[in-house]
Amino acid sequence: MRNLLDFLSRHNHWFVFLLLEVVSLTLLFKYNSYQGSVWFSSANAVAGKMYEWDSSVKQYFALTEVNRQLTDRNIYLEREVEMLREQVKKSNNDTTLVERLQQNIMRDYETIPAKVVSSSLDKANNFITIDKGSADGVRKDMGVVCGQGIVGIVYLCNEHYSVVIPVLNEQSNISCTIRGRGYFGYLRWHGGSPETAYVEDIPRHAHFRLGDFIVTSGYSSVFPPGIIVGRIKHVYNSENGLSYRLNIALSTDFSRLRDVSVINDREMDKKLELLRAAEDSIKARQ
Amino acid sequence: MSLNFLRNIVFIIVLLLAQTLLLNHISVFGCATPLLYVYFALTVQRGEAKWATLLWCFFMGLLVDIFTNTPGVAAASMTLVGFLQPYVVELFAPRDSADDLRPSPFTFGSSKYTNYTIILVLIYCFTFFSLEAFNLYNWGQWIACIVASTIITVVLILVIEYFRSKR
Repeated sequence: MRNLLDFLSRHNHWFVFLLLEVVSLTLLFKYNSYQGSVWFSSANAVAGKMYEWDSSVKQYFALTEVNRQLTDRNIYLEREVEMLREQVKKSNNDTTLVERLQQNIMRDYETIPAKVVSSSLDKANNFITIDKGSADGVRKDMGVVCGQGIVGIVYLCNEHYSVVIPVLNEQSNISCTIRGRGYFGYLRWHGGSPETAYVEDIPRHAHFRLGDFIVTSGYSSVFPPGIIVGRIKHVYNSENGLSYRLNIALSTDFSRLRDVSVINDREMDKKLELLRAAEDSIKARQ
Repeated sequence: MSLNFLRNIVFIIVLLLAQTLLLNHISVFGCATPLLYVYFALTVQRGEAKWATLLWCFFMGLLVDIFTNTPGVAAASMTLVGFLQPYVVELFAPRDSADDLRPSPFTFGSSKYTNYTIILVLIYCFTFFSLEAFNLYNWGQWIACIVASTIITVVLILVIEYFRSKR
């Protein structure tokens, strides 16, 4: 007994070591399911505040560039709207149609402007922290976009900060479509360059061209339909040969992300409720 | 004791700020990120209680995890390095040296200190990137990350040690 106690006290650091490793690995593997883990992420108050100070300093230096980009984009969109308005007027002689359509698009969605306070690009699973949280109306599973296109989906919310899973994360999986052609696929990213991603599960009979735009499909009710994702660069066959795998150039420049908007779909709860009711009724029938 | 405690806390905060605000934005060739906070484990004195070293290293790793959203990855790797550090020190420490020897190029000799740094940083980078990637989906990148980050971290630590011993 005495020898045993002696042994234990001499090698106590082995037990501390094992205990700490177990704690670390529990954190590593339980992170996805453990709700309290928001305290172990950059959405906690101290880390969030620090990143906010840091980014508020850096933001200053990027303002000119951001302004230029927004102006460019604005001019481009203005011209596009003008062109489309002409087209619509020509084809059905209704001058108020465009205004009515515009109102319809944004009626169900509300946007919450937010600033990126920290982000990473070079890991297999990148995360973005933004400076808006549950107190500002941000909830888990809301979509996040920026002026250039899609950004990601809200993953964890604290009172004033949230962690977003961007497209540049292996767990990201967003439903999207080829603009004007209507084939659906899933946006995935497998590490590597932060400028490219893949759209998988595009059917073999789909017709499209290189350079076609990829936009969100609106199926998941996280993003409204038609938000730009990127353009097709290359086409590959999927591993099982049953579908196409598109290599796309992402339109969002994640390395210079500053201002984003969280999209709050007011109808999302109702849609989810309906979906759940449908699932329940199927289960009841079985 | 309490002075040592305070010094460790300040050291951790400085390393944490340097890592999260500055070094994490460095990514040479897309994979070489200096992981300077390993330096904390390297400076632990000989004769320090092993369980205390483990706790400090775990704490350092956990803080980095919290700030960079890599739950448990840095904490697990730092704990491993904190566990191995006393044994590696014994390998390299000169035979007739003091019991509270602080590892540095001055006390070890520069070539021995370089080897000591390379071994511990390599162990750290290996566990860190293995836990982070976990599946060897992209093993080319995995090896590149380990090698490149080890090199850049070792160089950074040696430069810092050089300036510290000069003072």
